[in-house]
Amino acid sequence: MAESVELEVKGLDFHYAGNIHALKKINLTVYKNTVTALIGPSGCGKTTLLRCFNRMHDLYPNNRYEGEILFQNQNVLEKRIDLIKLRSRVGMVFQKPTPFPMSIFDNIAYGLKLKGISKRSELSEKVERALKHSALWDEVKDKLNASAYELSGGQQQRLVIARALAVNPEVLLFDEPTSALDPISTAKIEELTETLKKEVTIVIVTHNMQQAARISDWTGFLMLGELIEYDRTDKIFTAPSEKLTEDYVTGRFG
Amino acid sequence: MAETSKKNPMDMVFASVTGIASFTVILFIIGILYVLIAESSLAIRQFGVIKFLTSTDWNPVKESFGALTNIYGTIVTTLLSMVFAIPVAIGIAIFVTEISPNILKGPIGIAIELLAAIPSIIYGMWGLFTLSPIMSNYIEPFLKKITSGLPFVSMLFEGTPMGIDILTASVILSIMIIPFTASIARDSFNLTPSVVKESAYAIGATKWEVVKNVVVPYSKLGVFGGIVLSLGRALGETMAVAFVLGNNHRITTSLLDAAATITVTLANEFAEADTDLYLSSLFYLALVLFVMSFITLAIAKFFLLRAERKYAR
Amino acid sequence: MMTHERKRKIEGIIALTFSTLAAFLGLFWLVFILGDVLVHGVKALNLSLFINDPAPAGVDGGGLRNAFIGQLMITICATLIGVPVGVLGGTFLAEYARGRTVARLISILADIMVSVPSIVIGTFIYAILVRPIGHFNGWAGAVALSIIMIPVVLRTTEDMLSLVPWTLREAAFALGAPYYKVITQVVYRGAATGILTGILLSIARVAGETAPLLFTSFNNSFYSLNMSQPISSLTVTIFQYAMGPYDSWHSQAWAAAFVITIFILLLTITGRLIIKWRYK
Repeated sequence: MAESVELEVKGLDFHYAGNIHALKKINLTVYKNTVTALIGPSGCGKTTLLRCFNRMHDLYPNNRYEGEILFQNQNVLEKRIDLIKLRSRVGMVFQKPTPFPMSIFDNIAYGLKLKGISKRSELSEKVERALKHSALWDEVKDKLNASAYELSGGQQQRLVIARALAVNPEVLLFDEPTSALDPISTAKIEELTETLKKEVTIVIVTHNMQQAARISDWTGFLMLGELIEYDRTDKIFTAPSEKLTEDYVTGRFG
Repeated sequence: MAETSKKNPMDMVFASVTGIASFTVILFIIGILYVLIAESSLAIRQFGVIKFLTSTDWNPVKESFGALTNIYGTIVTTLLSMVFAIPVAIGIAIFVTEISPNILKGPIGIAIELLAAIPSIIYGMWGLFTLSPIMSNYIEPFLKKITSGLPFVSMLFEGTPMGIDILTASVILSIMIIPFTASIARDSFNLTPSVVKESAYAIGATKWEVVKNVVVPYSKLGVFGGIVLSLGRALGETMAVAFVLGNNHRITTSLLDAAATITVTLANEFAEADTDLYLSSLFYLALVLFVMSFITLAIAKFFLLRAERKYAR
Repeated sequence: MMTHERKRKIEGIIALTFSTLAAFLGLFWLVFILGDVLVHGVKALNLSLFINDPAPAGVDGGGLRNAFIGQLMITICATLIGVPVGVLGGTFLAEYARGRTVARLISILADIMVSVPSIVIGTFIYAILVRPIGHFNGWAGAVALSIIMIPVVLRTTEDMLSLVPWTLREAAFALGAPYYKVITQVVYRGAATGILTGILLSIARVAGETAPLLFTSFNNSFYSLNMSQPISSLTVTIFQYAMGPYDSWHSQAWAAAFVITIFILLLTITGRLIIKWRYK
């Protein structure tokens, strides 16, 4: 099956402030409408790699990118890229649920309002769509004006996903989205990724190998800033090419 | 909590000593309240409560005293100083937390602490010798000129610009309050978790939008508490204002007039009060001020505690 | 055609520019005020200021020796009263009464006391320590200042002691030490720099106070070491001289202001540096 390319990482090197070489010559391809998992032991660079896709590192001084990340024929790492536009097309969900200090409705509508959409009817329609896509609509449809803080942890995380979905991104970056949640909420969100990937391409960082095996189509294994192996998930977990990969997925270290 | 099974006698002694030491706080507050009420009892009996609070009399010769002119001056100077100070203080807090490069954060932070540490009498003196001439020679005539035609606004700038007036006093007071308010606002802003800020950036918000829509609402309670706390401090300020307010017991609409606050009246007249009723009325004023500031500070503390509890979640 | 995005960017630039201007305005005041104090103060500084006592009113010359000494004495006495009470009080709140309602109450009240108008404290002390004795006296001034110091020292001590991890105390208990020894020999050690800084900053705070001294220690144009009589202080002298009619008084007031400001700023900077260095 010919898969089209969403993101192509070419020769990516990344240094944190103080010349800390965190990513070394990464090459990988993320395909449209797939779930790509990045796994590896603590400090291997998987989150660092994820945050390159939406240029999150730019928020802090003295970080340095080298190489290319091609997104729709443009190198995302170029200085002249409009970060605001980029981030509305490449969304991110963080480890801890991060609702804004607003109502549920305003949280979801926030990205839309930023884009200039102010008509109440249009906002309501898009908010409802986003909440349905993140499987939260039924639970909150009667209390859209309640504070987002009243939701449980799992609900808040789905709220955050809905918030990211509302602006119709092409890519969604998940940074260990279930590590702070209970097993039931975790299962709900894993279910969600199955349906979401039909509309968005998902890249997920997870320290939970079983999760990666459950939900992803492609998996990249990183260690000490290098991409050791990148292949279809079932291959990585059943017949990996690299010894290091095999040792990691079989739990010999990690 | 340490509950040792054997009660060591020295422990009981030490616990009692430290306990008594901590109770001095309660003792002071009750003591101050009691003494002030006792000392003002003469005036209270003479003038009552409502009459004293609403009377504009202040006549040591006829022995007729009322608090209204002082209360008016206190409230006007305090509110005006807050109007000047709050926007600047919040601006400084936003700058230090979100805009300034890391190298500058330290020095500017120290500059704020130093400004806050300068004793109020220095502000007062500087106000008298440096600011007041500038106000009377340049700023106040200018303000008079540009508001001369306008209906209500010109009332605010009537009279001869002498530089010793409500406006100058409020400016000095606001300069004093700015570092205090800025530092509390900065601490509140810093409590916003970076993940939440990053989330907003990740949606495509600009830096200003993150400040406006995420940081400020998140720190609302702490910033508000800080503002009320600054209000409480400004209410009780004496020396910064005493040099440049004059001591004129009257209610006036012009900012260019001299006036009186409770603190300045106390500073100027307490040591000179020659009759029992005069002194008692001054104590009465002190009591009013104590109650006003205590209530304000308690409200501020309430908000600051609510803010603390929210972040501990 | 202004796109919505451009509008957002421009709004952001305007807002952030205002904010930056505010910061520089704040810096501006600092430089302006300190600069003025520096310029005027240094001009009037001379040795006679420290060696001589005030000349009669209107006569040039003379110095402020009595004011310097008086200020020193009042501040030292206030510290001797305020620091032990504050440290012990804070110890109670952080140790024996930790978590109890009474501790929370006292803590909150102390925070309020920190910001109570200092002139009201002056009137309070006048009623209990000046009138009964019959005249102004230095002790009254010292006690007034200590009332301001105690809540400050108490709160910082409480905070610093609470920062010491509980496991440290447990380790000492496990060795068989009674609580008071755990506090004095272990916990105090751990919080020493923080408590010391709190003390330094509280001294900086009261050294510049004028209002509480106005009708307690009052003022004295002569040199005196007698705390049971009115005693001179730099701050009250500055008030008197600055408001007075003579130029010589004004310049001496600037010089005194300069000395006090330098002293307080040095204390404050030292305190902040200690915190930075210790808690890095």
